[in-house]
Amino acid sequence: MSALLIDDISVEFGRFRAIDRLSLAIDYGEIRGVIGPNGAGKTTVLDVVSGITRPKAGRVVLDGGLEITRASETLIARSGVRRKFQKPSVFDALTAAENVAVGVEGRLRRTAPAAEVRRRALDLLDAVGLADEADRQAGEFSHGQKQWLEIAMVLGGDPKVLLLDEPVAGLSDEETEKTAALVRSLKRPDRAIVVVEHDMGFVETIADRVTVLHEGRTLFEGSMAGARADARVIEVYLGR
Amino acid sequence: MIRSLLGSSGGTGFSLTLAALAVTAALLVATLAGVGPSGFLVNIIGQLAAFALLALALDLIWGYLGILSLGHGLFFAIGGYVMAMHLLMHSFETTGTVPDFMQFMGWKEFPAYWAGLGVFPYALAVALVLAGVVALVTGWVSFRSRVGGVYFAIITQALVYAAMLLMFRNDTGFGGNNGMTGFSVIFGLRMGTETASAVLALASVVVLALGLVATRALVSGRLGRLMLATRDDEVRLRSLGYDTIVLKTGVWVVSALLAAIAGMLYVPQVGIVNPRILSPELSLEIAVWVAIGGRGHLVGAVIGAVLVNALKFWLSFAAPDVWPFILSALIVLVVLVFPNGLLDLSRGFGALKARMRREGVASLDPRRAGP
Amino acid sequence: MLRIAAVLIGLIFATAAGAAPLERDPTLRGLCGNAAASGEAADRLLSATPTLSPDDLAFADAAIGGLLSKKLVCPAAPTDPVALKADTGAVDLATGAPLAALPKGKAPVVSLKNRAKFERLAAALALLAAPNAAARAAALEVLAKSAADVPADLFAAAAGREPDPALAARISSVADLASLYGTDIDKRVAAVARLAEGENRRVLTEIEALRADPAYASEPAFAAAVDAAAAKVSGAIAIGNAAATLYNGLSFASILFMASIGLAIIFGLMGVINLAQGEFIMIGAYVTYVVQEGLRALLPGLLDWYLVIAIPFAFLVTALIGIALEASLIRHLYRRPLMSLLATWAVSLFLINLVRVGFGTQNLQMETPFYITGGIAIVGDFIMTWNRLFAIGFAALTLAGTWFLIRRSGIGLDIRAVTQNRDMAGCIGIPTRRVDMLAFGFGSGLAGLAGLALSPIYNVNPQMGTNFIIDSFMVVVLGGVGSIAGTVIAALGIGQINVLIEPIWGAVAAKVIVLALIIAFLQWRPEGFFTVAGRRK
Ligand SMILES: Nc1ncnc2c1ncn2[C@@H]1O[C@H](COP(=O)(O)OP(=O)(O)OP(=O)(O)O)[C@@H](O)[C@H]1O
Ligand SMILES: [Mg+2]
Repeated sequence: MSALLIDDISVEFGRFRAIDRLSLAIDYGEIRGVIGPNGAGKTTVLDVVSGITRPKAGRVVLDGGLEITRASETLIARSGVRRKFQKPSVFDALTAAENVAVGVEGRLRRTAPAAEVRRRALDLLDAVGLADEADRQAGEFSHGQKQWLEIAMVLGGDPKVLLLDEPVAGLSDEETEKTAALVRSLKRPDRAIVVVEHDMGFVETIADRVTVLHEGRTLFEGSMAGARADARVIEVYLGR
Repeated sequence: MIRSLLGSSGGTGFSLTLAALAVTAALLVATLAGVGPSGFLVNIIGQLAAFALLALALDLIWGYLGILSLGHGLFFAIGGYVMAMHLLMHSFETTGTVPDFMQFMGWKEFPAYWAGLGVFPYALAVALVLAGVVALVTGWVSFRSRVGGVYFAIITQALVYAAMLLMFRNDTGFGGNNGMTGFSVIFGLRMGTETASAVLALASVVVLALGLVATRALVSGRLGRLMLATRDDEVRLRSLGYDTIVLKTGVWVVSALLAAIAGMLYVPQVGIVNPRILSPELSLEIAVWVAIGGRGHLVGAVIGAVLVNALKFWLSFAAPDVWPFILSALIVLVVLVFPNGLLDLSRGFGALKARMRREGVASLDPRRAGP
Repeated sequence: MLRIAAVLIGLIFATAAGAAPLERDPTLRGLCGNAAASGEAADRLLSATPTLSPDDLAFADAAIGGLLSKKLVCPAAPTDPVALKADTGAVDLATGAPLAALPKGKAPVVSLKNRAKFERLAAALALLAAPNAAARAAALEVLAKSAADVPADLFAAAAGREPDPALAARISSVADLASLYGTDIDKRVAAVARLAEGENRRVLTEIEALRADPAYASEPAFAAAVDAAAAKVSGAIAIGNAAATLYNGLSFASILFMASIGLAIIFGLMGVINLAQGEFIMIGAYVTYVVQEGLRALLPGLLDWYLVIAIPFAFLVTALIGIALEASLIRHLYRRPLMSLLATWAVSLFLINLVRVGFGTQNLQMETPFYITGGIAIVGDFIMTWNRLFAIGFAALTLAGTWFLIRRSGIGLDIRAVTQNRDMAGCIGIPTRRVDMLAFGFGSGLAGLAGLALSPIYNVNPQMGTNFIIDSFMVVVLGGVGSIAGTVIAALGIGQINVLIEPIWGAVAAKVIVLALIIAFLQWRPEGFFTVAGRRK
């Protein structure tokens, strides 16, 4: 059974059709790269999956159960979907550790003792290489640090479906490599990961399969090598 | 001085403010013993404390959740009107004289829904339940439909405006234009005596101190962090699994309750409640007190409310016509030059220049930044 | 006007000339006779009045007037002429010739029964011949009290020669009433039908009262006529009321539209709600007042046209204030919309108090020029008043101008671009700062025009603006940010709802219900009617 099944969705903004009858299935244990030119609709797909945007038609089913198109963002998140936004979104007023703790707890009600939550948060910060910055305010972080902090924050929820929107945008080559290693380490048999990215090299190193979007439709689906060879993909995205 | 009052950890400022409140309370006790400040001053102190509590209520949602209400006068008025009903009933029951209000309304006896309001605990419960329910409904409906920011501010203003129009009508049953006045007894004390004024002021100061301690406990804990997170990026928080609507509605209700309590303290001290308590101007002014004191650290709201209102009291004796001009100048000054209110003032001009250079970035300190 | 009167008088002469002249002497002798004879003479004179020549009318007027004021002298000797005492001496009434001496005789005694007849007669004569309209109107009211005793053709003649159209209409309606309550069934049926031509509530009350008339039960033709007339009039009244509601709603909507369009543009562009928008309206009205006073002092001949002459002033003054405000304050607040609420409120406080200091708090006296005085009756009780039509027309012109500016001009293109994507617009070289400033000025200027359109209809005082901001914001919310079409539709909707609810539950309830509806609407469509959902980062 697919972790995430996107079935024939369409999204419209006014008269503009951002997603046009798109279908996509992502399996557990898989890292899926989603690429495509600017405005192809990649972020919009993630918006639909995380419940921020409602599609005009079609449905999205999580793990064969939850019908995402009818659920609130909160419920979707509680069912195991986590998302890193394209523009790094962290809570500027909180420290790094507090940010991640917010991600770990995931509920208004206290679910675990504060000490345990903090320990887990520190572990995650360690994993993304921010252990030394744990008690600094997130507002003071650089762009790259915010990217990682947000990844740590979403990992706090131990997601079944992890959506990463441009995790290496604005990072140096070295940082990109580190991130690639991190993402690979997140791969688990009970987890599906979707990575939206423009950086081809990055996608190639992490993705099991890629989907190429163009003008709200699937242009290609398969291996990265296959995408590089596909004439239409070259035409609209990779360039000759 | 101011800086330490507002100190960024909140620690020193908070303790200093509590200390100031304790000193004030001691003075009021002295008045009760016949040696403290005069009745007039005592009354002013009491009113300032009530306003400070009101400002505290607003800061809780504006400073920590980023939700600006321009209609908090609504909850203030709910407390005020219920208190007025209590006082009328209580005065009637203890002295037996029919209040002017009833003659004015053409009533022989109080309508059935006034029953029991002469008992203070019941009146308190009524005010809190009423304010809580109104807040619950308005908050839930607005937050659920993602109404926020400027929209929320104006809709709350429209609410308080509609309520004012409603209360201006004589047939609404709360005294219409004239409102309610002529309270003669409170807790068995004759109103207007020095003792009654001192007791009321003391109660206001104590409740303010309690309110300050309670709200600080709230914001410095886990929920406080979630409030700041909501303010910074609500969508982010929601897609981490938090029900921000519940959080916002909950805090909104708490804030409304504080405002209602402030109203209950305020009305006996001014001796009247009428629909002008619901005027949009008053609700806007509350936001001004908070802005001037500096949003998002409670103590600032208290200091802002006290300073602005003290100035207003003084000027409305000295030069009533210039007050509106001073108020608008203060607002523009705060908005343009000191976006964090007195905190900026205390930080001096070095920081100011830095801010000017980074035009557009709202604030120096992200913990205090906000819309 | 005079010319028309002259023509009318000419016509009167022409018709009167065809009638038989009055036999004056027998009439006078009759009047001088006993009660029966004098009553009979009065009756005859009354039935003759409609056809009397102006000369005879003047004669009859003098005779009856003399009789009532006891200046008529009936001679003891039947050969002496009937005379009228004048200030000095006397005249022979029948010929009008002066008399050397007052004949011996006395003034006739008027019996109680005859007095009513003479008074009616005097009124009939006055209605036909009194030179001033007030006297004719007064005479008509006397006749109306006993309309059944007045010959029907008297009213016809009077209506025919009446130069004042309003009075003429009133005469006809009194005449109808007379035949309505007469005895001749055919005439009554005809009168009912004629009555039904005046389609208003008063007529309906009269017609419905006829159902209690004995003839309604006994004469099927009469009953049918009454029923048909009632149906016709109540139909027309219903249409008229609907039209009046629509019209009032439309005029309220026009004002809402003018108050909100500037707000909508500014909010759409900068996310700033200008709480001082109402005060721009107020300033527009004050500028209009200043123009009016200036004209009064310098060019009194043009005073009536102050509303037109003030247009550029109202627009430019408010636009300049708006630009100054944008440049000094608003531009620092684009990213802090909540703070901009406080700041613009401060501005509004400042402006109100400034005007209060400068002009005082009382309502200003605005002239009502002739072109917005009165109105035209359309159907039923619905009168299309010119002042409201002025506001509607003004709003339509504003709409056209705004639409043209936003949709067709270069600056409009820039405004739309910046509204949609500020950063992108900046990137492609649109001077966003300047666009903001101009748009703010334009939005403020529109508010100034709203103030101008309001000034002859509303109370103009320093507080007048505060009533608008909440309603206007509701329009903006409902219409969707920055959409002209949305603003128009929302203004129409809110205007109509207000006008529909007000008569049923009152103005306060109307406000509360509109607010509730808007909150309910936001549940369903948080972005308003016309905007596309904003995008998250
Ligand atoms: N809320 C919105 N309102 C109007 N148009 C929108 C909205 N959200 C997205 N769009 C449009 O939908 C299209 C798809 O946008 P989307 O952000 O999904 O593209 P993307 O593939 O993520 O592009 P990029 O690589 O630049 O991030 C774009 O043309 C965008 O302008
Ligand atoms: Mg994207």
